[in-house]
Amino acid sequence: MADESRIGAGRSTRSLGWAIVMFLVLPITIVVPVSLTDQRYLSLPQDGLSLRHYLHLIQSAEWLSSIGQSFVIALGSMVISVGAGTLCAIGCWRIGTRWSETIRVLMLVPIIVPTIVYALGLYRLWVKLDLLDSYFGVMLAHGVTGIPYVVIIVSTSLASFDPRLEQAARNLGASVPYTLRRVILPSILPGVISGSIFAFIHSWDELVLVLFIASRSIFTLPRRIWDGINEHLDPTMAAVATALVLVTALLLVLDMRARRLRAE
Amino acid sequence: MREEQTFAQDCAEILRDELVAGRIDRRTFIKGLTALGLAPALLGGAGALSRAAMAQGAKPKEIVVANFGGDAVPAFTDAFAKPFEAKEAVKMVIDGSGPSTGKIKAMVDAKKVIWDVIDSGTGQAAQLGEAGYLEPIDYSIVDKTKLDPEFAYKWGVINYYFSTVLAWDSTKVQGTPTWADFFDTKKIPGKRMFRRTGLAMLEPALMADGVPADKLYPIDQKRAMAKIASIKADSLYWNSGAESQQLMRTGECVMGILWHTRANILERDSGGRIKWTFAGGILQPGIWVVPKNPPAGSAWAHKAINAMQDPAGQVLLLERMGNGPANPAAAALVKPEFARVNPSSPENMKQQVKFGGEWWMANQEQLTQAFLDMISS
Amino acid sequence: MTATAAAGAPSGRRLVLMNERTAYWLMVAPAALLMAAFYFYPLAEVLWISVTEPKPGLDNYAQLFTSASIRRTIVTTLRICVLTTAITILLGYVVAYVLVHASPRAQRWLFLGVLVPLWISVLVRAFAWVTLLAREGLINTTLRDAGLIEQPLALIWNEFGIVIGMVHYMIPYAVLPLYANMRDIDPRTVSAARGLGGSRFYSFRRVFLPQSLPGIIGATVLVFIFSLGFFVTPAILGGGKTLMIAEYISLQILDLLRWGLGTMLASTMVLFIFVLLAALARVVDLKRLFGAG
Repeated sequence: MADESRIGAGRSTRSLGWAIVMFLVLPITIVVPVSLTDQRYLSLPQDGLSLRHYLHLIQSAEWLSSIGQSFVIALGSMVISVGAGTLCAIGCWRIGTRWSETIRVLMLVPIIVPTIVYALGLYRLWVKLDLLDSYFGVMLAHGVTGIPYVVIIVSTSLASFDPRLEQAARNLGASVPYTLRRVILPSILPGVISGSIFAFIHSWDELVLVLFIASRSIFTLPRRIWDGINEHLDPTMAAVATALVLVTALLLVLDMRARRLRAE
Repeated sequence: MREEQTFAQDCAEILRDELVAGRIDRRTFIKGLTALGLAPALLGGAGALSRAAMAQGAKPKEIVVANFGGDAVPAFTDAFAKPFEAKEAVKMVIDGSGPSTGKIKAMVDAKKVIWDVIDSGTGQAAQLGEAGYLEPIDYSIVDKTKLDPEFAYKWGVINYYFSTVLAWDSTKVQGTPTWADFFDTKKIPGKRMFRRTGLAMLEPALMADGVPADKLYPIDQKRAMAKIASIKADSLYWNSGAESQQLMRTGECVMGILWHTRANILERDSGGRIKWTFAGGILQPGIWVVPKNPPAGSAWAHKAINAMQDPAGQVLLLERMGNGPANPAAAALVKPEFARVNPSSPENMKQQVKFGGEWWMANQEQLTQAFLDMISS
Repeated sequence: MTATAAAGAPSGRRLVLMNERTAYWLMVAPAALLMAAFYFYPLAEVLWISVTEPKPGLDNYAQLFTSASIRRTIVTTLRICVLTTAITILLGYVVAYVLVHASPRAQRWLFLGVLVPLWISVLVRAFAWVTLLAREGLINTTLRDAGLIEQPLALIWNEFGIVIGMVHYMIPYAVLPLYANMRDIDPRTVSAARGLGGSRFYSFRRVFLPQSLPGIIGATVLVFIFSLGFFVTPAILGGGKTLMIAEYISLQILDLLRWGLGTMLASTMVLFIFVLLAALARVVDLKRLFGAG
């Protein structure tokens, strides 16, 4: 690794990279103090720090149920997007004809079309299928619109995968599923994981479709935040964001610990 | 409403009370209802069954009132839903999922309307009504004597008052500014703030330009827009009420046009740094509309609207959110500490300009687009 | 994820007997069917409105050429999106490059930095930027207290603020595909170039960069298309003065009931992207872009 880094990134490039990551983290440095504000709206603390927005978060049945709902929906729709998207990307990659390319380009449509336009069509269809205001309805809508992210990212991974490896496995008599499991998937795993993250986040952060197809029982986190934003820029959303960041960081630190222990 | 109740319904109500009180169990309750021939209406939800039952005058399962969410959901629940339930024994729920015009159109087109009464605005009511998406307001059920007949339109009827007012940062502006000061960035430098849709923004511009308050309508749109465009470089435009508060609170703007409810919160939260006045404000009605074929039936939707014109609930809404009571009889019930912020109190009403609903009904759609085009060019 | 994907394929024994090509089409089927039934069908119904409302015909499309308001919105959107994409790809490339070459430990910290913003709702982030960039915001007050400026800088309520907000949102979407691609570039090819006496920059330009091209193009397409659909961030950070195409469409549909006009613009966007991709296919191999080695 040390050898590679000497070859790859020079010191100035490295500092630039870190600086850009700092820029990415910058709003968080503001979200954390805002979550500790003593005011009743999104703003920096004025007279002192306060934990009341965290208190409100853990005591509020509404916020907790929204987090729970969003988590379940994001997980469900991630399974749909990643399952369908990964298979589709591999299939198209392997077939490699004009037809499969067309399918792959068509998969881009959900990110091109403004969500509001799809929301209208979705609403009408969901009325017919009686899926309005249901978990399954939202999961399906998010799952389908998440497929493009997975297809693009997995395809990018596949682009640098040597197809001869796959051919070799097949020639040695491996079945298609076996080749898929043992040869293709392991080597595109980072792409699949990236795709999963995006599929999850896509659903987790999606507001427009939810505003259309949810009414009384489905109240996801973005909808709760939207409600809070329109009301008085409720700082509870900063507390939620901070809590999520902390959980992510914690998982990563635990992961590092585990790796170090294993290494020892 | 009590008088219109059939005997059977009264029996059902007694049964229901008994059930709630725990004196009979659910099974007995349903048996009793079946005996009265009311079970489908009270237990069965949507669809043909309940609609058929409703045609016979039976009660709907519930009445759904849609608004734009936030604190308005619990406030409407306490002010309107609870009294209604107590009186009519019909459940009223507040759905805060945001009834934009597009959503109402989609619902009616898809024949799946889930709202009975909707909190809307003058322009939207006219637009939706003319396009065939609303039930005309039935004034044989909604009592016109309980409201200002000027805001009793064909497609909608007033539910509360709000005002579009001038607020300013008292550390940067001395005294009480006028609309003319608002548009004079030389006299008072600093950013100004408008609502991004342009609704009720033209009237202040005209008053600043010297048009007397009683000669505003019909609005000279070109003149008003030119006035607003003249300070475009010094203007910001808010989308949500919370955003308007933020722009004033953080000192980004020295003066702003915003809703009186928001101005009032700003004054309180800033410890008096932000001040505001009803003088020259535009007194506007919030509008109830009924979508085409509401699930509870048009009659019940109108009954609900009529019930919500009761002064007690409206006064509670004023105390909770600052919305002014639409029923003139409410003024007497308002506690003195709320009278100052009540846009519909007789003293405050005198200072404001009454919103020209007719003009806005005819023009809001094109104005919204024209206004956005002007500020984004 | 491995389990999920693999479980989606029919059992092995039968497949062995099957035509290999059929097996691969079967893999495409779930996504294709899901999209056809739950995306394209409802979407087609809506886009159809663009030629039927308010009356049948192409009147809505004529407005593309006659309406100054639409033209201005399109120009604004393209300007902001091109700028955003260019900056995003540049910055994202640097991050991805550093990421591939970093030690595993540094890699995890960098990843944390890239992924953490995704957890913060786009709405919250927009308001966080307001808090930072506003007139009395953190950056301006800090600079003023340090005596570096007299008057607050205009960092927000203009296209500068919008681009900052959008680039910030988009960088992770650029880094991940770029990283996924760079990770598979054999470092030995670069060290070979270095070993042959090439400077660091030379070997980067001649060996690394060409190999990372599919990643760049993929990320560019993704970011550009994605940024076309933006409107919450621009509406808030632009001080209400910027109107982008997605918001324009949303306005027609949600508030003005001009569904014909709104859906016309949406159809036009889809068409525009396809033409763009087709043009791109003449310059670069689209198959390469989307992965077919």
